[in-house]
Amino acid sequence: MATITLQGLQKRYGDVEAVHALDLEIPDGEVTVLVGPSGCGKTTTLRLIAGLETASGGAITIGERDVTRLEPKDRDLAMVFQNYALYPHMSVRDNIAFGLKARKTSKAESDRRVAEAARLLSVDHLLARKPGALSGGQQQRVAIGRAIVREPAAFLFDEPLSNLDAKLRVEMRAEILRLQRRLDATIVHVTHDQEEAMTLAHRVVVMNGGRIEQIGTPAEVYRQPASEFVARFIGSPELNVLETARAHAVLGLNDPRGAARVGIRPEEIQLASAVPADEAVARFTARLDVMELVGAQAILTFVLPDEERVRALVDARTAGRLAEGQDVELAIAGDGLLRFDADGRRVP
Amino acid sequence: MSRIPLRWRLLGPLLLLMGAVVAYPLGYSAWLSLTNRTITSPDTEVVALKNYTSLLSDGDYGTAMRNTLVFVLFAVACELVIGLALALALQRQRWARDATRAFLLTPMFVTPIAVGLMFRFLLNQQLGPIPSLLGGIGVTIDFFGPHLALPTIIAIDVWQWTPFMVLLLLAGLESLPTQPFEAARVDGASWWLTFRSVTLPLLRPVIAIAVLLRALDAFKIFEYVFATTRGGPGNATDTLQFLIYRTGFNFFRLGEAAAMGFVLVGVVLLLVIVLYRTLLRQEARA
Amino acid sequence: MSRLGRRLFLLVAAVVVAFPYAWVLMAAFKAPEDLNDPSKLSFTPTFDNWRAVGDSHVLGSAGTSVAVGLSTVAIALVAGTLGAYAISRFRAGGATTRFGILLSQVMPPAVLVVPLFLVAFNLGMRDTVQAVVAAHLTFVLPVVTWFLIGFFDAVPMAFEEQAMVDGQTRFGAFRRVVLPQVLPGIGAAGIFAFVLSWNDLFYALILAGGNTTTLPVKIASFDTFRGVELGTMSAAILVSVVPVFVACFFVQRRLVRGLSGGGLKY
Repeated sequence: MATITLQGLQKRYGDVEAVHALDLEIPDGEVTVLVGPSGCGKTTTLRLIAGLETASGGAITIGERDVTRLEPKDRDLAMVFQNYALYPHMSVRDNIAFGLKARKTSKAESDRRVAEAARLLSVDHLLARKPGALSGGQQQRVAIGRAIVREPAAFLFDEPLSNLDAKLRVEMRAEILRLQRRLDATIVHVTHDQEEAMTLAHRVVVMNGGRIEQIGTPAEVYRQPASEFVARFIGSPELNVLETARAHAVLGLNDPRGAARVGIRPEEIQLASAVPADEAVARFTARLDVMELVGAQAILTFVLPDEERVRALVDARTAGRLAEGQDVELAIAGDGLLRFDADGRRVP
Repeated sequence: MSRIPLRWRLLGPLLLLMGAVVAYPLGYSAWLSLTNRTITSPDTEVVALKNYTSLLSDGDYGTAMRNTLVFVLFAVACELVIGLALALALQRQRWARDATRAFLLTPMFVTPIAVGLMFRFLLNQQLGPIPSLLGGIGVTIDFFGPHLALPTIIAIDVWQWTPFMVLLLLAGLESLPTQPFEAARVDGASWWLTFRSVTLPLLRPVIAIAVLLRALDAFKIFEYVFATTRGGPGNATDTLQFLIYRTGFNFFRLGEAAAMGFVLVGVVLLLVIVLYRTLLRQEARA
Repeated sequence: MSRLGRRLFLLVAAVVVAFPYAWVLMAAFKAPEDLNDPSKLSFTPTFDNWRAVGDSHVLGSAGTSVAVGLSTVAIALVAGTLGAYAISRFRAGGATTRFGILLSQVMPPAVLVVPLFLVAFNLGMRDTVQAVVAAHLTFVLPVVTWFLIGFFDAVPMAFEEQAMVDGQTRFGAFRRVVLPQVLPGIGAAGIFAFVLSWNDLFYALILAGGNTTTLPVKIASFDTFRGVELGTMSAAILVSVVPVFVACFFVQRRLVRGLSGGGLKY
């Protein structure tokens, strides 16, 4: 396993700059997740690392080696694709062994590694089957198995979970984490799903418009987002953002510190009765518009007197006492307010 | 009218036409093949299977059958190999991409009789540029001599119909998913391993269709023979379709020609079944 | 394959394709005495061959070919479109019909030409455009129908269901919603069918070799190898080839989908 370093990495397609001078260090033995909306350059970055795209500028180093101009096969990386890219005409065994065959590994060694990987991923009973006869989750395991047997310097995962149903996705997430700990693997994982990023990552790299918005641990990007973009992208339901003047007029929020906009996490808006007076930053009344129950919690959408909407995440039992259309006394709890300047940078 | 279901009203015209121009002639032909019908004599007798049994001992028919099979086998094999190589090269060609493709595909659209005459002219001993060029370096080849006439006709077919293979195979190549190829690149597979283990198996159904369509069409070989050798020298280039043409319309033995036609249908059907089983069924199991 | 090797290979292929064209183009402008010497590359162009083409009813034959082609295509498209739709959507006639159409494509002309000839003979229709059209329908109908089944199969049923829910009749849904989507496919099938008919020699030679010659039959009739005819033949070949090139340039892409019965995406 090895550290991967990107220095000033660039990719242009004609006049369009897909990736702007990217600097990033992917530490050995960690899961680094590139996350962002579609078109943010995360997949392009991964494909640049893999060598499937040629960099327009900058350098990629794996361990001590500069691999910027090397062919994919010479970079010693393994990749798991979104659609798994299993060869439909080969058995599971041949699929897993393909990378070893390409590197002319001996038959005995290849058989041993395939058997080990298959056991690790619980697909040993499927080795003789063709991919078409497998379920989505099983295909996913085989694709990961194909990467593992290579014993590469690092693994590249290109949205490998996005084709799975919600339940299986959660299971596979845990599976990937278990494998990562066991193999002490370096993984670069790309996803558009912020929840997946938060659960898998040692480090989250939030990207937007071909640039890195922030690099940090999941807790850092959530608690101390570098920008309004990061704050809005990470976290569900989405952050409530209000113009400072309105926040003052409508919510009675007295704490602008020169910020242009204020962000309030939905979980920090609570029923006034549930927040002790000395902890409340502000109190206000709003009409409950829509109530969505999600198991133990409920997402409440309120309409403020100026027709602005805010969302709150509250305990489902608390919400059970409310009815849609009713006016509710609310309070903003805690000190988790986020403040942004006119350019969307966060101000402390 | 409205009591007839829509589906039959839609299908009706097609069925009537197909019945008139295909099914009826086919039945008529089947009956003819059991008679000694000729154009010249009005007396027609039913001779049962005599037309078929006499084919077994007919040396000309045997030669034509052999020539046709050799022609189909070699022409289609050459077209597949050259066509696949061209398709692979064209797939990666960027410079003047559309113009190159369009130009290389043109031969398949030329009237076959014109292609035949063109090559008769190009390869003509006295007037043709190719023997003239070869003569310049001291080589004399009689392209339409007893040994080379059939290979020459195969070459003409290859010139005209390799583009058809290219068209289908190129379309097949470009519709393959990209991820297996990217996975192979990351896995470090060489060009040859990728071609053998990924490209060919994925392309297999397309190859099957292309070979089938080409082989079926090659059985109808007529124009090149008509334009260049008329079956000669001797009967070195006599093909089934050409022999049937001669039997029926030069010698007016219609009953016999019909029987020859039916044997050809049998051979073609056999080929369809064999190709279908070996090429397409394997895919279904995968 | 290296880049250089690839380009060299394509260049050789292009030369092999271009050489016959270039030679025929040259021959069409050569005087008889220039044609006798294949090594002679510089010559004074002459239009005698083209005048000879004008005098020899080549254009009349081209007219016959156009008449045969257009009639065949028109009949085949109407019957083929309706039939293909019925087969694609209603499974009308079941597997037998589908298989029958596939099988008709396979039918060698040699087996059909004898009865067609006799029928034309008995009806006094030998040497008529109608006889050739009937013969061309034997191969054009199944091809066109096969093409269109594939194109119809590719249109999701949801479009018609939507249209019917919105108040269209079953036929209305076909005509207003499905047909417009398949129109480019019908166009491609029509052009392809026209080319097939335009290129046929076998049927036209046997059924109408007298006064109603089509262009391929006419071209074949230049097949006497005296120098004079060679130049005229070259000019006539060019007459037959150019319109087909133009037509096919537009349908190449759709051709692939049609040929494989929609089984192959492009």
